[in-house]
Amino acid sequence: MLPTIHTINVLLPFFYVATFAIYFYDFQQGGKKFENSKRLFLFLTLIFHFLYLLLRTIEFDHPPITNVFEIFTVLACSISFAYFILELVTDIRGTGPFIIIISIIFQVISTLFIQDLTEVKEVLRSNLLGIHVISALIGYSGITISSVYGVLYLILYNEIKLNKFGLIFNRLPSLEILERLSFIAAIIGFAFLTITIIIGIIWLPQAFPNITFADPKLIGTFAVWILYGIGLINKFLGKWRGKKLIILSIIGFCLAILSTMLTNFLGKSFHSFY
Amino acid sequence: MNLLGISINHRTAPVELREALHLSEDEIRAFIQQTKDSAFAEGIVISTCNRTEIYAIPKSDKTSLKDLENLIKNYKSSFEVKDENFQHFISRESIEHLFRVACGIESLLIGDNQIFKQVKDSFLISEEMNFAGVLIRHVMDAATRVGKRAINETTISEGAVTVSYAAVQLVEKIFSNLQKKSALIIGTGETGEIAAKHLRYRGIGRLALTNRSFEKAEKLAAELKTAVFPFSNFKEHLHKFDIIVSATSAEGLIITKKDIEDAMKKRNYASMVLMDIAIPRDIDPESKKIDYVFYHDIDSLNIIVEQNLGKRKSEIPKVEKIIQEELDNFFEWYNSLEAAPTIKTLRDYFESVRSEEVEKNINKFSEDDKEKLEIITKRIINKILHHPTIELRKISESDLRAEDTAAKISVIRDLFGLNKKE
Repeated sequence: MLPTIHTINVLLPFFYVATFAIYFYDFQQGGKKFENSKRLFLFLTLIFHFLYLLLRTIEFDHPPITNVFEIFTVLACSISFAYFILELVTDIRGTGPFIIIISIIFQVISTLFIQDLTEVKEVLRSNLLGIHVISALIGYSGITISSVYGVLYLILYNEIKLNKFGLIFNRLPSLEILERLSFIAAIIGFAFLTITIIIGIIWLPQAFPNITFADPKLIGTFAVWILYGIGLINKFLGKWRGKKLIILSIIGFCLAILSTMLTNFLGKSFHSFY
Repeated sequence: MNLLGISINHRTAPVELREALHLSEDEIRAFIQQTKDSAFAEGIVISTCNRTEIYAIPKSDKTSLKDLENLIKNYKSSFEVKDENFQHFISRESIEHLFRVACGIESLLIGDNQIFKQVKDSFLISEEMNFAGVLIRHVMDAATRVGKRAINETTISEGAVTVSYAAVQLVEKIFSNLQKKSALIIGTGETGEIAAKHLRYRGIGRLALTNRSFEKAEKLAAELKTAVFPFSNFKEHLHKFDIIVSATSAEGLIITKKDIEDAMKKRNYASMVLMDIAIPRDIDPESKKIDYVFYHDIDSLNIIVEQNLGKRKSEIPKVEKIIQEELDNFFEWYNSLEAAPTIKTLRDYFESVRSEEVEKNINKFSEDDKEKLEIITKRIINKILHHPTIELRKISESDLRAEDTAAKISVIRDLFGLNKKE
């Protein structure tokens, strides 16, 4: 099974790039030629990716969530999957390239550095950890998508303000729709981050008796959670809207990425598994 | 095919002449009656604000384009029309031009799909007046196909190409659902009226009007079933509207940046679109600097219009390809309306029915009878087809005009479904 896993690992970035290419071509041309086939392409890529994750789980006897590069491939899959669902539900098909490119970045990094890890620390073989990581991944997918729509909102906002009626103006949905998509994704992200944090608080003292809550990853995650919490409360109270909320979402996403990078590559934290 | 066509359009005649030669529906009917009684067997008359076109098949081969031209000249005899005001077409050129008109690439606003409906309406009039025979029906079927294919297979009709459509396109890039939005129209002159009707047509949730002359605003409001604000205090209501369209003939600004700032504060900075389509402008352009205020004037709307017109122009080669395909299809059909190929197709059709039935039932017969069955069924078919074959040959050898021959053969082909089977 190992050769199959290695082959799929190499092929996955190509699948994502091909899917991105067809979405991007459709975005640029603005026709209806690939309206359905691009969705089928994404679906097949996701099936292929699910198969890869399943084979890894069986072969290495653990779900691929025990190190940062395993998590990156799951994140690539979950971001594209979340977009796929969003596209099906809303039938807004023009924003695909901007989301799929994020999946490409995560998958390329994973493909390059992932290892055949059969031995995992005992502490990482926990059901609670599984739920913790899965909800964290859904949460991060949510805030990633929220910030991508946020960036698109800001670009379109400025284009309309400056009378630039180019490709972005012609192809993207309205500002209101982009704001709503960003908001829905942020709610999903916030809800799953909340679950992640709660499970983390329950599981951490069991797994690491000497844990300190001053851990940089914990502080980073709390900061992201609080930021989104403040934003959503103000949105519900009708105080904040549009640009303000979207900038907050983008800051939250940058903070989440920064905290993950620092924790896994530079800092010393219990979240660093390499 | 002797289909003659003449056209007076925006390329050949000034607006005054086009207006003068415009035919109302009643005039078209009267004109068709007169044409039918004179030299033409079937045809179609299209008349819009930008073009008047007549396509007709003459009763005699001696009838020329000049006769067709004289018909309209005599019908509108009070106007002087010169030869250069006409475009002339014969046979394939006529059909090609009609196709080009139907899909909007001959229109002043390229890709205008209103013309497609107008062409179809003109055909209905011809049909009602018994002026549409077999050939014109087939020409119109093909023209309808061209129009539909141009809309579905190209983007020739996409994008706003008028300022008022561009304004709506812009609003729809900001708001997702106009039904939940409200709009105020300031100034109910021609431009304001068009904008109001446009917004109503696009399903705006709430519409209100204001105008210096309250009576004029009330009149339009009654027609559109909207509210009216007195011009003296409309600024107090600005914050209630998501879209403000200003189209007055005022000499200076009537809405300042401060007015907009105050309105935005009251509406807690919910997005507001300002469409200043007045010349000179009504709203302070500095308003665009306020967050969530989307200010646009005629110049910015014209950018959208020009871009869309450019895109439509780039689609013309694709539409022309469709036209050529449909022209080829049409003439393939037309050329099949000759006696010899029709006789062959008719015989092939009967033979295929015969052999199919024989094959199905052959096992019910003894070996000796099988051969007899073949001979007898073939004889029956020959006897059935003997008379139609003679008649078809007679049609082709008679002195009938090609169009009349084609019409008769077309009936036979339709009757036996020969066009579908080929």
